[in-house]
Amino acid sequence: MTADQLKISHSAIIEDLIDSPLKVNLMELGFLPGKKITLQFKAPSNGPLAFLIENTLLALRKQEAALLQVKIIS
Amino acid sequence: MAQTQPPSLTKPLKIALIGNPNVGKTTIFNQLTGLNQKIGNYPGVTVDKKTGAMIYQDQVYYIIDLPGTYSLYPNSEDEIIAHRVLNQLSEIEKPDFALMIIDSVQLSRGLFLATQLIDLGLNLAIALNMADMAEKSQLEIKTYELFKQLGVPILQTDARHLKGMDQIKELIHQQNFTNPGPFIEAKEFLDNSQLQDVKEYFELSNDYQAYQILRFGLKDKGLSEEKRSWIRKKLETLTINLEAAQLEETKIRYKRITEVIEKVLVKKSHQEVGSAPLDKIFLHPVLGYLVFGGILLLIFQAIFAWASVPMDLIDGFFADLGAWLSSTLPAGPISDLLSEGVIPGIGGVVIFIPQIALLFGFLAILEDTGYMSRVVFLMDRWMRPFGLHGKSIVPLVSGVACAIPGVMAARNIGNWKEKIITIMVTPLMSCSARLPVYIILIGLVVPDEAILGIFNLQALTLLALYLLGVIGVLVTAFGLKSMLKTEEKSFLMVELPSYRTPRWKDVLLTMYYKSRTFVTEAGKVILAISIILWILGSYGPPSQMDAVREIQEEKLAAASSEEQIAEIEAETSSLLLENSFIGILGRGIEPVIKPLGYDWKIGIALIASFAAREVFVSTIATIYSIGGDVEDDLTIREKLDTQINSNTGEKTFNKPTAFSLMVFYVFAMQCMSTLAIVYRETKGWKWPLIQTVYMTALAYFAALLTYNIFS
Repeated sequence: MTADQLKISHSAIIEDLIDSPLKVNLMELGFLPGKKITLQFKAPSNGPLAFLIENTLLALRKQEAALLQVKIIS
Repeated sequence: MAQTQPPSLTKPLKIALIGNPNVGKTTIFNQLTGLNQKIGNYPGVTVDKKTGAMIYQDQVYYIIDLPGTYSLYPNSEDEIIAHRVLNQLSEIEKPDFALMIIDSVQLSRGLFLATQLIDLGLNLAIALNMADMAEKSQLEIKTYELFKQLGVPILQTDARHLKGMDQIKELIHQQNFTNPGPFIEAKEFLDNSQLQDVKEYFELSNDYQAYQILRFGLKDKGLSEEKRSWIRKKLETLTINLEAAQLEETKIRYKRITEVIEKVLVKKSHQEVGSAPLDKIFLHPVLGYLVFGGILLLIFQAIFAWASVPMDLIDGFFADLGAWLSSTLPAGPISDLLSEGVIPGIGGVVIFIPQIALLFGFLAILEDTGYMSRVVFLMDRWMRPFGLHGKSIVPLVSGVACAIPGVMAARNIGNWKEKIITIMVTPLMSCSARLPVYIILIGLVVPDEAILGIFNLQALTLLALYLLGVIGVLVTAFGLKSMLKTEEKSFLMVELPSYRTPRWKDVLLTMYYKSRTFVTEAGKVILAISIILWILGSYGPPSQMDAVREIQEEKLAAASSEEQIAEIEAETSSLLLENSFIGILGRGIEPVIKPLGYDWKIGIALIASFAAREVFVSTIATIYSIGGDVEDDLTIREKLDTQINSNTGEKTFNKPTAFSLMVFYVFAMQCMSTLAIVYRETKGWKWPLIQTVYMTALAYFAALLTYNIFS
């Protein structure tokens, strides 16, 4: 699955990043394979998503979150 | 490796400050340089070039504050500048040393950029800032171990609490910067044999620089065309896949950084740090918007309450100064030019300072506390359908007070298309200068009564005018969205930093420097246009002007009472304005504005309002020869109410005309200060011109429609 399908307060491990021009941007922010992310907040009506990753809260639009392939952990 | 030349004795050393966004870099810059800052421009981009002088032990050091960036990969103009300066592509800004600021809590992200700087061959030192936050997060960084791993000097600082600032100064003074040699060799992720001629052509000392220039050099329009075409040619023959190399570089770099971090970072607690409890309210799908609305309301309340006092004082001061000059200097054209053209022109620039400073003060507070990125998070969804970005909300909201700081704030938007759209629509928000015009006209034609028992009809009309502006913003943005083309992909990746109390010194410095930028950059244009408008308004064909003066002087001589004299004097200024060049222009445009319900007198007011909208009230007062106190709305209103339109024989300010005028003022571009700022922010006259033509046309047709609906 991809990170945009996570439910609030669910955590997941990033498995891979889908190829796109934004891949490097995501990586430089710390979205790297093996990292744990937790979906903390969703803006209403399919707005941006806020993920907690290593003590930082980072907001992405759904389309960018869809570039993160993740494996859900309980 | 270290390729910096030994600094000459006469020139001060240049130190570049670099770091991720939100690491406290600006605070450190402010602490080092204080009021010795200069804001200039980098060629080809709108990024402010912030430099300052640090004086320590009788030595002067030149500090360059680079925009915050996550890596050397340039995506926005900000990052292009960081790329340009750190790759030493620009001879003028070439730094001798780089001081990298890292957020101690975000060590790995900071090291990503830091190790790139090492690979570029820069002489570097690292300040681990926000030591207090690391402690709160139960993190301990073994600095000596980090020094051993990286090979560059490391300091621990806490800029917010002013800890470690002397150490930074001392480090700069001792020139304690080193370059230990590459963290990653370029050959680990690409075939470096193809980079030899790049190094020779650009006179570079290492492969990583050569790779950076090949990969990103074309993005920097500051590079000479000769060099750009050389890069283009080189890229054609290159067999390296640079994008793949960049991904590979990123992976290797993070892998090695992770190894370093395992050795230097001690987590004293394994409990995960969650996000702030405040976010449960501020990012709440309902409460979040209510809080945002409440904060906006408070800010505008404060701006209207606090800005009006200094604005009145400035107004009064320049009026007194003008009067004093005209009575002191020998009468003549020079005295008139100074007292009626130049002084009010300068006053017209200075009058905006309270609003600009306050608005930027509030914006700085919202930014500094970390709240602003929450607003971006909440609003992005609602901005996007209109081709705007979550970050566009700041300029639009500022536009309600004044479009100038709004347009200035648009530079934070990275995407070119979204930035241009934001700049184009911000002046359509009803700013505070339109308010006096609205109030006078509403007072004339809308009865002061309540409907449905609670809603005041006048207040409702005012609200409708504001909403009309918002609709204009949305429709225009929507139209521009489909017209403007860009290859840049719009994206939102924004950090929601921890909440912190604002740093008041930084807030005050922002207010000071933003106001100063406005005065120095836009001031020249505004002053020039004011003088031109003054000349047009006070001179006309000499024969006509002299004739008016003669007739009026005869009348004056025959006048018997003081009242009569005052009346004649008011009539004189009205007649002089009527026969001046502006008056001639006003008559000239009458056929064009007649369908809107305006006569030539209103035409004069429209032309004069181009300087600034609020001028409408005083021009109308002059043209209808309203003597006495023009500040008194009631006097003006009563006078206007009795005016008869010479074309129709009806009241000039009847309902159709007044509403048509209000709608005209909602949409028209009548603010040269805004135009001057749009010119500055878009680096040319193209966008300000398009904006003027578009807004004027929009105003015209909307007013035409309004006039026909009401008549």
